[in-house]
Amino acid sequence: MQKNSAHFQIQLLGDHAIVFKITTILREGIDQDLIALRQFIIDKKISGIKDDILAYDTLTLIYDIQSFKDHPYLFATNIMDAFILESSTLKQPKNAVRLIEIPVCYDPILGIDIQTAAISSNCSVQELIQLHSEKVYTVYCLGFLPGFAYMGDVPKAIQLPRHPAPRSKVEAGSVGIAGIQTGIYPIASPGGWQIIGRTPLKIFDPNSKELTLFKAGDQVKFYPISLVLFHQLNAHLDVD
Amino acid sequence: MSIKIIKKGLSDRIEDHGRYGFQALGIQPSGPMDFLSAQLANAILDNDLINPVFELHFPASTFEFEQTMYICISGANFVPVINEKSVALNTPIKVFPKDQLSFLQPLEGRTTYLAFKGQLDPKLQWLNSFCSFQTTLNKEDHFKITTDLIKEITLDQSKQHLIQQIQTTLFNEHEIRFIPGPAWNDLDPASIQDLVNQPFSIDPKSNRMGFLLKGPNIHLSEPKHYLSSAVTRGTLQLLPNGNLIVLMADHQTIGGYANLGQIILVDLPRLAQLNNQSPFKLSITNVQTAHQLYRAKQSWFMH
Repeated sequence: MQKNSAHFQIQLLGDHAIVFKITTILREGIDQDLIALRQFIIDKKISGIKDDILAYDTLTLIYDIQSFKDHPYLFATNIMDAFILESSTLKQPKNAVRLIEIPVCYDPILGIDIQTAAISSNCSVQELIQLHSEKVYTVYCLGFLPGFAYMGDVPKAIQLPRHPAPRSKVEAGSVGIAGIQTGIYPIASPGGWQIIGRTPLKIFDPNSKELTLFKAGDQVKFYPISLVLFHQLNAHLDVD
Repeated sequence: MSIKIIKKGLSDRIEDHGRYGFQALGIQPSGPMDFLSAQLANAILDNDLINPVFELHFPASTFEFEQTMYICISGANFVPVINEKSVALNTPIKVFPKDQLSFLQPLEGRTTYLAFKGQLDPKLQWLNSFCSFQTTLNKEDHFKITTDLIKEITLDQSKQHLIQQIQTTLFNEHEIRFIPGPAWNDLDPASIQDLVNQPFSIDPKSNRMGFLLKGPNIHLSEPKHYLSSAVTRGTLQLLPNGNLIVLMADHQTIGGYANLGQIILVDLPRLAQLNNQSPFKLSITNVQTAHQLYRAKQSWFMH
């Protein structure tokens, strides 16, 4: 079941989720209309919507069957029509995109795969660091672990495959590359990404109000720091 | 005064209505695997249906009670005994200080629920939920329960009817229905036939994150790459090796495997109770039917 509305497509995902999917192909970044639609729905505070999940080209709403009186498809098309009407009549302020700068220590003591990664990328460690840290990445979605942000797109020259078998433990704060994506392990976990550095920042803090450092749609830039500075700033001591 | 764990089970937890509202941050919603049995145990004790309960898998924890209170056990039959004397499922049980509850063997089903009359310390909540987060119940864990004056709890006729309805739907019916998902049309025709005609069973490697299915190998017409998008409880994913996985209560919030469909909510408690040896078949349904069935079952609790 689907309907095209502007450049959104509506799909029902089983009996308790609705997906709005962008039909135009984006080269990089998350479509601003998708982010605006999410905000529009959140602002409406619709009872029965339990969760909203933004990922790449989709926004998914999880709903409670009991408190949802409308047919979900009808509900979704009504929301879409209201959104389109509002965005055509109101001059919408452009969503402010956050740019978050993340210190990363690329020392091989922490970036345990960086030397082999440089060899497979046919470049020096220094060039790899420069390629990874000069780019501004988009957070496409969060998942896998609480606060784990899938960011892209990694420059072609340093796109590296996952390890064939995951490590049993990757330390919290580890910065990795997997293909077109880069990301930071918020907590220690098994994982298969190529680890090129570590950030001293806490990415997930269950006791903080925000809980996670990133949200989908954020822009992220890494900058290199020394091992000494890493240890001075390291916030992970109490979680490891 | 409290409930105390005196022997650790394999992977026991506290569950309530789930931790919703944080999936955008990658935080899984959790909640009971068999929410019908969790609700039933609470209904028998005249509790709020979403009162937190202990979710137990075999081998289950051993509990000691430090105060007089009512408890109820619903779901799988793990042969519960109090001080080595067997006790019934689905009935209010009055326990006394020093009583010990243990579970002897998994006779039927895979998950059981221990409900109690009273309130857990609200400070145990994180993000509006008591659901265990990346932890299981451990030996020496204490759970302080506040109970009002102990009032006798009885099993009236409407409760007996409710118990019967839920036992029947969980253990005597066998339908596992799904609504085809975005990657359904990418399946090869033979795989579509296999999916709805061949029996599947649950692989022993399954857990609260997902049930891996044993059955025919399933293929797409041609290899395809999908952008990751939200997955939910019941999502039926196709792994690259041709196996299927059904995402359960502790599922990840997004996934990039082929999304073949969603098992409907109303059938998930039944799937959650199926033993590894029990074969089942998948069949196709639609949203209207799924909603009607779900509402009908929830209305059982309204009497």
